[in-house]
Amino acid sequence: MNDMGEITPAVTPLALDAHGVRRAFGSVQAVINASLAVPPGTVTALIGPNGCGKTTLMLMLAGLLRPDAGTISIAGKDPHIDGPAARSKIGWMPDALGTWDSLTCVETLTTFGRAYGVPPAEARDRAFALLERVHLAELAAQPARVLSRGQKQRLSLARALVHNPSVLILDEPASGLDPRSRVELRELVRDLASEGAAVLISSHVLSELDEMVDDAVFMSKGVTLGASADALVAAARQRWRVTGRPGTDVHTTLSTLSRDWSPALEDDASQALVQVVDEDDAADLLAALVAAGARLSAFGPVGSALEQVYLTMEEERR
Amino acid sequence: MTNPTLTATRARPPAAIRGGSPRGNPWRPSLRGVMLAAWIELLRRRPSAKGYVVYAFVFAAIVALSVVAAVSAGPDKSSVPFELVLILVLGSGMLIGPSLSATSINGDSSEGVLAPLQMTRLTAADLAFGKLLASWIVCIAALLTTTPLLVYAYSRSGWRIGEAAAALGVILFMVLAVTAVGLAWSSIAARAVASVSLTHLTTGLLVLGTLLLFVFTLPLVSEDVSVTSYDFDYDKVTQAQLNDPSFDPSTLPCVEVEELYTINHTDKTAWMLLLNPAIVIVESAPRVNPQTFEEDGRAAPGILALLHQSVSGARMGPVQPEAYNGCTGDYGDTDAYQKRMVAEAMHPANPVPGLALAAALLVGSMWLVVRRLRVPYKKLRTGTRVA
Repeated sequence: MNDMGEITPAVTPLALDAHGVRRAFGSVQAVINASLAVPPGTVTALIGPNGCGKTTLMLMLAGLLRPDAGTISIAGKDPHIDGPAARSKIGWMPDALGTWDSLTCVETLTTFGRAYGVPPAEARDRAFALLERVHLAELAAQPARVLSRGQKQRLSLARALVHNPSVLILDEPASGLDPRSRVELRELVRDLASEGAAVLISSHVLSELDEMVDDAVFMSKGVTLGASADALVAAARQRWRVTGRPGTDVHTTLSTLSRDWSPALEDDASQALVQVVDEDDAADLLAALVAAGARLSAFGPVGSALEQVYLTMEEERR
Repeated sequence: MTNPTLTATRARPPAAIRGGSPRGNPWRPSLRGVMLAAWIELLRRRPSAKGYVVYAFVFAAIVALSVVAAVSAGPDKSSVPFELVLILVLGSGMLIGPSLSATSINGDSSEGVLAPLQMTRLTAADLAFGKLLASWIVCIAALLTTTPLLVYAYSRSGWRIGEAAAALGVILFMVLAVTAVGLAWSSIAARAVASVSLTHLTTGLLVLGTLLLFVFTLPLVSEDVSVTSYDFDYDKVTQAQLNDPSFDPSTLPCVEVEELYTINHTDKTAWMLLLNPAIVIVESAPRVNPQTFEEDGRAAPGILALLHQSVSGARMGPVQPEAYNGCTGDYGDTDAYQKRMVAEAMHPANPVPGLALAAALLVGSMWLVVRRLRVPYKKLRTGTRVA
């Protein structure tokens, strides 16, 4: 408190901060109450079923749509009051590139660089550098119409980066990408975060997100789920799957070890889901199971924690 | 006096947060921004190879047409070919310009092109004026295509260079105005089909609607006047008198002749004509005196001069029917018709109402377009998405 800078206006730990955001289209409440915060250098996932208001929320965060209520701050700027300043901090990747058919890849990026106020020569250099970064360099002179869907997504991502934004809002960046491109996207997003960008990413490919994100915000029917969903994610991360050879009764063994377990499949004693505290605890459990004579073929964390929470959430909705 | 908490909540954000805004005013266009927005628009809409082939054919056809016109032309000056080219330029401009602009906002929006541009530092005004400029440039290109024909037709038209330049300037301004109207419809209507048809409906209303309105309001300004003249009573002529070659009609009795005329006080409604974009061109063309055009170094009155004469006739109002006296041989001023024709032809031209309407449409449309391009959107066109 005492040495809060007189020169620096405020220490803003959050690059992207939204609180109590609401937006209706006519009588349809698209977003009812959304709050989220993304610190610089981190990646946050925005997860929710189709039509839960993710894209609407992202549009409001990007400063394209005015919320009916609530506050939004992008690197300390309110997109409503100081729109141009807020938008110039944001790299926004919409769920589609748009029809830029007759422009070549490099033209698209150069044009956008110039629209962001970058001098022409520099914009062109940056366009080539970005095409290199998203592995489209050999298609630089091709018109955008010859690109495949995945290549368009990559060009769209490059476009979001032309002005070195400090906040990235990526709407479904992985859709249409082949497995290799997905890995590359994951690495690129992590690199951008390590360079200090705050990244908000929405996706349906949850297993992909698991390895990419630091935090996740779940959204359902226009409402962001806060602590309750966080607890679910934490619990899901502690669920491990035990698979024995056919005929092995891991259920009994786990009971004798007084573990908190549940059957993975009905009427199959050879598989179970176990709650562990951390990886050390998991190692202890494995040793105990083997010592008890269980013949195991697989032992590891249950698939995607985000996916599990998502599915739990879906069940709750019904 | 003032509640401190109230002032605190109402206070503007501190200068540190508000400062450093690159360009805060969406209403402010910059030359750089407008040029870039127009450049993007033209790049996106640049024709394919097939398109260039079509344009080459059109250009070739125009050159061929000029050659045919030159070969078949007589020795006299004639302004008709030049006027036809002007009408062609106006007509094509009023079709091409608004057709392009009428799809450029809702079309871009549905193609997912608009929102990424709105995210950049281009202001709403940059985008609006850039799009207007791009569509207008295409119309100017169409005008340039007609250059061979235009130059040839001009050389024989008897028009002065300043007059030709003024007429072309007015045409391009009218095209600009209707292009802006197209852009406005494009920012209002959700779908391109709707905005294109609404735009053509608007230009149609201006071109045909004003004429129809003028015609339909004629009964409201018409008046019946009766004129009492005198003439010999020809009904009294007998068969015998008709067969008599030495018969003198002046021996017949002189009687009153009551004649009923309907006159239209078009001077009250002629302003409707002046609002018509085509009439604005008519009123921007030089006046040609039908009696002295040869001494004046002009061609015989062409389409525009004759139209100006008609419009002036309407503006000057009806000619009061005059009584005559056939018995005394007083038929009034027999040159009245000729004098009236010259008066109509030389009546001062008035393109101002039409130009003012066009300017109002231009300003109003662009105000609306900039307003609707501002982000963050408060209201969306129904049935559309931001991106």
